[in-house]
Amino acid sequence: MKKIAFTAAGAIALALFSQTAATGQTKLSRNEIINSLRDAEVQVKVNADDLRAQALQNIKQHPGDNATTSLPLSEQLAKLRQFNVEITFDFDSDRIRPESYETIGLIADALHTPYLWGQTFFVVGHTDAKGKREYNLELSQRRANAIREALVTTFRVPEGQLEAVGLGEEDLRDPQKPDSEINRRVQLINVGF
Amino acid sequence: MIRAFAILAVMALLGISGSGGAFAQTIGFADAIKILHSSCGADIEKYCKNVNLGNNRIQQCLQKNEANVSDQCKADYAGVYVMLQKRFAAQEAVTKVCDRDIQQLCKLVKQGKGHVLNCLLKAEPSVSDKCNQAITDAGYR
Repeated sequence: MKKIAFTAAGAIALALFSQTAATGQTKLSRNEIINSLRDAEVQVKVNADDLRAQALQNIKQHPGDNATTSLPLSEQLAKLRQFNVEITFDFDSDRIRPESYETIGLIADALHTPYLWGQTFFVVGHTDAKGKREYNLELSQRRANAIREALVTTFRVPEGQLEAVGLGEEDLRDPQKPDSEINRRVQLINVGF
Repeated sequence: MIRAFAILAVMALLGISGSGGAFAQTIGFADAIKILHSSCGADIEKYCKNVNLGNNRIQQCLQKNEANVSDQCKADYAGVYVMLQKRFAAQEAVTKVCDRDIQQLCKLVKQGKGHVLNCLLKAEPSVSDKCNQAITDAGYR
């Protein structure tokens, strides 16, 4: 069973975030993003490098098929103003699919409003637990980089406002269902001024 | 892209594009991309299959393939380009247009464009029409 499941996983493996068009998803709006991200209260000291290092460390220290421990920083991050979006990519690639361009545009429009000016945001990419952890970590970082790149170039968001972090499968949304697509997501986190 | 499509932008200004005033005066990135996705999506999938969104690579790719790109895509691109430029101009102009309102309503607010604009947004009913319009055109509301 395990073996079959693993082979199947290999085939669809590294479909990060969401490969498929979302089914019956309610339409995302700019104001929804703004309202979820604005009015950050807590002053936080989280560093993107630390977060990336913790994900890598998690794999080295606790090897195995799936992550069994959460990241030291994840509890702190969970308290921050944030929003989850789905961005779809080409299979096994960091090329953003055209159907997700509008979502990136909405994020840009939100970041261009005075409600969110001058604040710093992490763009955090997550995968489900299918496939190898190291690979997921690397691909999710490249995908987070692609989103950040699009936002700071094509969509003119000031560079200093965004950090891209890929956490692979090291910070699952639903650890009870590690292979569920609910885990594939892009988190926008407001880390403050 | 910018240069070649700037000609189209001028055409759009002169109303040659034929996409017929269906657009609002200024436009945000999401709406711009929505229009382009519907008008240029097929061209992007055909000619720019391995091109990513960042660094204006999609625009450059469409430019490179200009001869093959559909007329609809070119026309809408030109229209969208003009409206985006208008929005950028509106964003640049806000503090100047709203100068009097800022002096009257937001004088005591902490320094910084963000704080001042948040003050103007909150004070909407008291803000002048001209300034409110500028804020709307800038996409700040």
